[in-house]
Amino acid sequence: MSHDDRHPERLVSPPGSGVRRLTTAGLVSKTADLFFVPLAILPTVALSIAVLGFPLILSLIMSFVAWSIDQPVSEAQFVGLRNYRDLFADPVFLASLGLTLGYTAATVCLEILLGLAIALLLNLELPFIRFFRTALIVPMMVTPIVAALCWKLLLDPTYGLVDHLIGSPVIWLGDPTLALITVGGVSVWQNAPFVALLILAGLQSVPKEVMEAARIDGATKIALFRHITLPLLSPYLLVAMLLRIIFEFRAFDNVYVMTAGGPGNATLVLSIFVYNTSFFSFDLTLASAASWIMLLIVLIVSLLLIATKRPKETD
Amino acid sequence: MKSLSHTSYRRGCYYVFVYAALICMLVTFLLPLLWVLGLSLKTREQIFTTPPLFLWWPTLENYFAVLSGGNFLVSFWNSLLVTTSTVLVSLFVGTPAAYAIARFRFPGRKLIFFSLLLMRMLPPIAALLPLYVMYSLVGLINTRIGLILAYTTFSLPVIVWVTRDFFQSVPRDLEEAAYMDGASRMGAFLKIALPLAKPGITTAAILSLLLAWNDFIFAAILTNNATRTSPVLLSTYAGSETGTDWGAIAASGILVLLPVIVFSLTVQRHLIPGLSSGAVNDARIP
Repeated sequence: MSHDDRHPERLVSPPGSGVRRLTTAGLVSKTADLFFVPLAILPTVALSIAVLGFPLILSLIMSFVAWSIDQPVSEAQFVGLRNYRDLFADPVFLASLGLTLGYTAATVCLEILLGLAIALLLNLELPFIRFFRTALIVPMMVTPIVAALCWKLLLDPTYGLVDHLIGSPVIWLGDPTLALITVGGVSVWQNAPFVALLILAGLQSVPKEVMEAARIDGATKIALFRHITLPLLSPYLLVAMLLRIIFEFRAFDNVYVMTAGGPGNATLVLSIFVYNTSFFSFDLTLASAASWIMLLIVLIVSLLLIATKRPKETD
Repeated sequence: MKSLSHTSYRRGCYYVFVYAALICMLVTFLLPLLWVLGLSLKTREQIFTTPPLFLWWPTLENYFAVLSGGNFLVSFWNSLLVTTSTVLVSLFVGTPAAYAIARFRFPGRKLIFFSLLLMRMLPPIAALLPLYVMYSLVGLINTRIGLILAYTTFSLPVIVWVTRDFFQSVPRDLEEAAYMDGASRMGAFLKIALPLAKPGITTAAILSLLLAWNDFIFAAILTNNATRTSPVLLSTYAGSETGTDWGAIAASGILVLLPVIVFSLTVQRHLIPGLSSGAVNDARIP
């Protein structure tokens, strides 16, 4: 790329001028122009393939073979869908899949509802409202591991603030049902602000004149919300929902720090299942199959997201 | 809101209600963090009291303890090094691609663009096992370079989506004029488009910074004790029970959060479009 650092000024005539001076530098510059797009794209494509594409293909292959970590690679045998069948016969995996879907559905619903409520509140034109909007950025930016660790201290049954405030020692993370709710609650705490700010951006895009006109025509507040705000807001809600589904489905950090999948398997979400199968049981083929099931589910949601008409198209 | 039909009494009630709700919201979202900030400023005795102490003379002893022990500093240094490199490398790799996608029509353009979106959506754990195997084979396991490459790849979608929008908003005429003056494509990119897209590049840089700084899962799998980042070190505190040093946990947590919070408040207006991976192009925090 160094040849472009020189200034090939005036060596190439303007296009369409009919005169083309074939100096060496001019040729170099023209050739460089031809290669500009490939050169600009290449590093991105190469890195994506090397760090992501290649491992994913490796994992796809691994999900179709029988092989254990102490065998030489040459002994790996193609077994078709056996790993997938094993997986769907494994009660731990099935429980983990169900639990992850439930966790995702519950956290996303709560985040959307809470986010919508907060956004409506923050949309009011009041003194100091900007301060409240800015303050809401903080929890969503916090390192998830630190957030989970903070909540672990806050929820401690003996010295934690939460149990002191409610006045009874609740063991938040030790009880199987409560642990999943708690872990999900921390995620809602961290991510509802993101949903709120996204929806707030949508609310701000509702034209004031339309609202005003409808109000003059005698529409009630509820009618205004149902017939004007909500339809205009729906693309934002949909984007928020699909994005949150994708990110809650991969939940790992908060669960890992707060419960590590326990007690028992009460919070064993799919990411933790894959992590344990890969790095504790070293069952690489089974872990690969589980990874690909996760990938397929995310792929479907992502395609929905891409297919969704975006709130405003730029091109 | 200021309709004359409201009596001043009703308006007063309305304000009381709205501000009460806003303050409730603020307490819910900020008190947990402020409480931990408080813990970090307490002595061991002050932390383990029942009921918890609400007023005390703050002490910095936890911070001195954390910063004088080697572990935290090593991990913090790793975090800084890895994050800075990720931002630089991913900008270097990603901005030319974003520019090419914004300006030129070429076969595969749409494919690359949407593949990048999909990359952002993939659950990292699904790629980490094969990546771990591959890194072990090529000797990148437990190295900062390996971690930087992984973060760069996962930053690229964000970089490309965000900067592409900004490149598209740069008027084409300026580059056309530069071509007339004999500039090459690379020249037009470096001297005209890049400086004009600076706000977008800043946003992209900070989003990639957040990704690298806040990540746990990649670092947990791809590093060892010498190369681990701060979140990995912090996660090791989680396993232990109440006997552990809460002051140190709180102080390290706060030290890790400070840079992120400062950075994100500086770019707050551009965070939403970036974090939604371009799904909401024009959404700015008002």
